[in-house]
Amino acid sequence: MEARPALSIQRSGASQLGSLGVSGGLSSSLSIPSTHLEGTYQKLPDIQQVPSERELTTRPQAHATRVPTNNGVVGHIFSSSSGFSSDLHYSSVLPNEKHSRNSPFISQSLADTASLPLSQSSSSLLPQPTIPSCCNKENSGSWCTDPDFLDFPVSTPVQSGQVENIQRSEDFSKQNDWQEWADQLITCDDALTSNWNELLVDNVTNLEPKMACQVAKPCTTMPAQNQQLPSPSVESLRVVNPSSSANNAPAKPRMRWTPELHEAFVEAVNQLGGSERATPKGVLKLMKVDGLTIYHVKSHLQKYRTARYRPESSEGSSEKKLTSMEEISSLDLKTGMGITEALRLQMEVQKRLHEQLEIQRNLQLRIEEQGRYLQMMFEKQKSGLDKLKVSSSNPENPAATSDATKEAPTKSELESSQRDHLDSGTGTVNNAKSMLERSSREMGGEDMATEAGDLEKTKARVSETSPEQAAKRSRIKE
Amino acid sequence: MKFGKRLKQQIEESLPAWRDKFLSYKELKKLVRQISSAESCVEYGKADAEAEFVHLLNNEIDKFNVFFMEQEEDFIIRHKELQQRIKRVIETWGPNGTKPSEAEYKDEMAKIRKDIVNFHGEMVLLVNYSNINYTGLAKILKKYDKRTGGLLRLPFIQKVLQQPFFITDLVSKLVKECENIIDEVFPVEQEDEEEIVKEQREAITVAGKGIFRNTVAALLSMQEIRRGSSTYGHFSLPPMDLPDSDLIHSFQLNSPIPIV
Repeated sequence: MEARPALSIQRSGASQLGSLGVSGGLSSSLSIPSTHLEGTYQKLPDIQQVPSERELTTRPQAHATRVPTNNGVVGHIFSSSSGFSSDLHYSSVLPNEKHSRNSPFISQSLADTASLPLSQSSSSLLPQPTIPSCCNKENSGSWCTDPDFLDFPVSTPVQSGQVENIQRSEDFSKQNDWQEWADQLITCDDALTSNWNELLVDNVTNLEPKMACQVAKPCTTMPAQNQQLPSPSVESLRVVNPSSSANNAPAKPRMRWTPELHEAFVEAVNQLGGSERATPKGVLKLMKVDGLTIYHVKSHLQKYRTARYRPESSEGSSEKKLTSMEEISSLDLKTGMGITEALRLQMEVQKRLHEQLEIQRNLQLRIEEQGRYLQMMFEKQKSGLDKLKVSSSNPENPAATSDATKEAPTKSELESSQRDHLDSGTGTVNNAKSMLERSSREMGGEDMATEAGDLEKTKARVSETSPEQAAKRSRIKE
Repeated sequence: MKFGKRLKQQIEESLPAWRDKFLSYKELKKLVRQISSAESCVEYGKADAEAEFVHLLNNEIDKFNVFFMEQEEDFIIRHKELQQRIKRVIETWGPNGTKPSEAEYKDEMAKIRKDIVNFHGEMVLLVNYSNINYTGLAKILKKYDKRTGGLLRLPFIQKVLQQPFFITDLVSKLVKECENIIDEVFPVEQEDEEEIVKEQREAITVAGKGIFRNTVAALLSMQEIRRGSSTYGHFSLPPMDLPDSDLIHSFQLNSPIPIV
């Protein structure tokens, strides 16, 4: 049961663009066959096709095969959506991150294959029968009605600096922004966005309760919504290369397994008499998980069998087994340390590494978040300036100056401390910062100030605590 | 070139099956150089060059995603199996089990301990894999922007942040669960503090290509990479705070390729 409709969208209409973007914004809405283009990769059609291993069927085929199943899937979703309206969504893996999503990649539709249905908004539950017809019409309508739309990415495709910031939480009228955003995408002249070639298809389907699946897709996790996933959903990720890539290997949907899904799998297998006796088809049936295909089950079953019946080799290759034996015995000989002690030591190192990795990751996330914020302010500032230029005698100025006096002290302090602290390599960042200073005065950048302050504090804290690191650093610099 | 070298070392130190799954940093850097020097060349316009670059990056990202999710799936399975195995051992050979046997119990538990610790290490290495590839991508994007004056970095990195390979929450969770299991499975530490500290401070030569070696290498690499760079900027990570770095440095990894 293939439930991955590919959404091919033509670049012609704003609405279409919008719908694409929307798919990115899905969070609580059920759009199942939403194509999630965002966050996937841009591919230019004239350049070589991407022979991705996960490559997919060409669109026309895909379309044909998927439409029928779509109904079932979508239907299912809709029915459950009533139960879980705002809860359905892609698993939000980063509940606390609000990332703006990048511009969706719109695939150049190979035409007429009308795209996939777009089930959209929980609020506008399209009755099942209309779904097939949806397939054939532009999705914009349905997309627009979704009140839960998320904001769209701010800067991306747009280096022309026309994107308005849209990132915000769920409460605002997404519909409007979304339209604007869509318009901008169309008008945007950016070279990068000239050809959108790839589609990433996501499906969100509802599982039987209890099975929580976090299935990630490249564009996934409607993070902006920060919603947890009370009702489990499965998303299968498939990358479809619409412009019939040379590599037409059968679509290998890549699924992201979760422990809960695995539990369900194990249950099903046990019911069928164990891993040796269970068949993929049987397991698939028993599991009753929408969006799960027999390929997924087959490969998972294979891994499972390997893990059970050859526990040593499942821990890695036999080479590894040998070497860890070697390792332990050499430890024994050389240090007289017991095996248990050696293992404890190994654990310590591993724990330490993991800790550091987590810290590093968080920092990276925050850095990018701030970068994004800066960019956004920069854009705002730019558009603000443009407006000012246009209307020579404008009433805005008085407002700006009054703000300025208030904001100036904090802002300039912060800015100067930032500049002292850092040696900004990137030109854009510098521009952004100076712009930021001005724009924040205009727009009340208190948030920015605190945010920037926080980040700097974190960085400072991290670097302060290791004087020896500093010493080493100076040594290295030579 | 520092990162490139570090990456290369990490790759060499990593598990053999993983070696070709890392970022092709060097190739990408070459491409960036080519692009920046060919900028003036009319035929290969900037847009095309950028497109090609983006295309390659996307391929890399695909590669990471596939590998990462595959490993993650394996880990989920093995995690569950380990738990089952422990349960079975306790129930069969444990003191209250069906066939209590201290010798067997000890024996099996020892094997389990070793397997668990290695399993834990492997998972941590996967998180490290994710991180180092992300770092590489961030760096190469920064280079690109710097050399070509493009504005590719910011939006592209946002996209990367949402890729499955970067979202390591599940693996981290498994790691923590594993640590809990380990606490239960390991005997309570009986030696006194001093003894332990003394043992730890001995220089230990770890031979072979075990997981342990890899994690030590990874940790050291990370420290090096974070040492502070000449282009430290707003988007750079601060130097790493690693207590006990003496301890880590005391592990002399015996290999043909010296680590530090």
